Amino acid sequence: MLETLSYIAVDGPRKVPVITVYALSTCGFCKRAMTFLQTNGFAYRYIHMDAIPIEVKNEAKRALKDIYKADVAFPFATVGAKDYLVGFIEADWKRTLGV
Amino acid sequence: MAAKSIDDTKRFATMVAAKQGWELNPDADFVGSLIEGLTVNWNRYGYFLCPCRDSDGSREADASVICPCAYARDDVAERGHCFCALYLRAGYAAAGGVPGGIPDRRFS
Repeated sequence: MLETLSYIAVDGPRKVPVITVYALSTCGFCKRAMTFLQTNGFAYRYIHMDAIPIEVKNEAKRALKDIYKADVAFPFATVGAKDYLVGFIEADWKRTLGV
Repeated sequence: MAAKSIDDTKRFATMVAAKQGWELNPDADFVGSLIEGLTVNWNRYGYFLCPCRDSDGSREADASVICPCAYARDDVAERGHCFCALYLRAGYAAAGGVPGGIPDRRFS
């Protein structure tokens, strides 16, 4: 069901890996994470999970948990086909994204 | 329920920090976005839901993550700041501490 959500695309010169950020509009670390992606030239798409109906959000969280076997906290980013990042721990994002 | 302004929320956060013996994060831009987020959450839900947690749909379900959240005391003591990094342990920033993402204690 994740592909049925409405994401906002942010362009950048680095198109690989494909990055999707599940964020909250109110969250400071979500903003930091997306600034980090833009600063480092990554294209990505994001969705503010607090701006969609709660039943849709909960279904999306269940889907993410099923796929990645991880509790969903924000920001939650999917990276390529299999990797994910939870929370904005800059060292983890740098390592996973090869920055 | 009366809407809250940014200044109302600043007063709330300042009062919480003083009462708990914590400090507000000195990063003005970062704190500004959290204060704005808390204000949005009050005006959306009727309580100060942590700006970095999503609502489970009711005050009862969200009780542990209403600011200051139930995990803040332990996170501030052990990690130097709460989950969203609004509140810091006294002296943490002065000693060079820079808040970063930490695991959500709800899931530990």
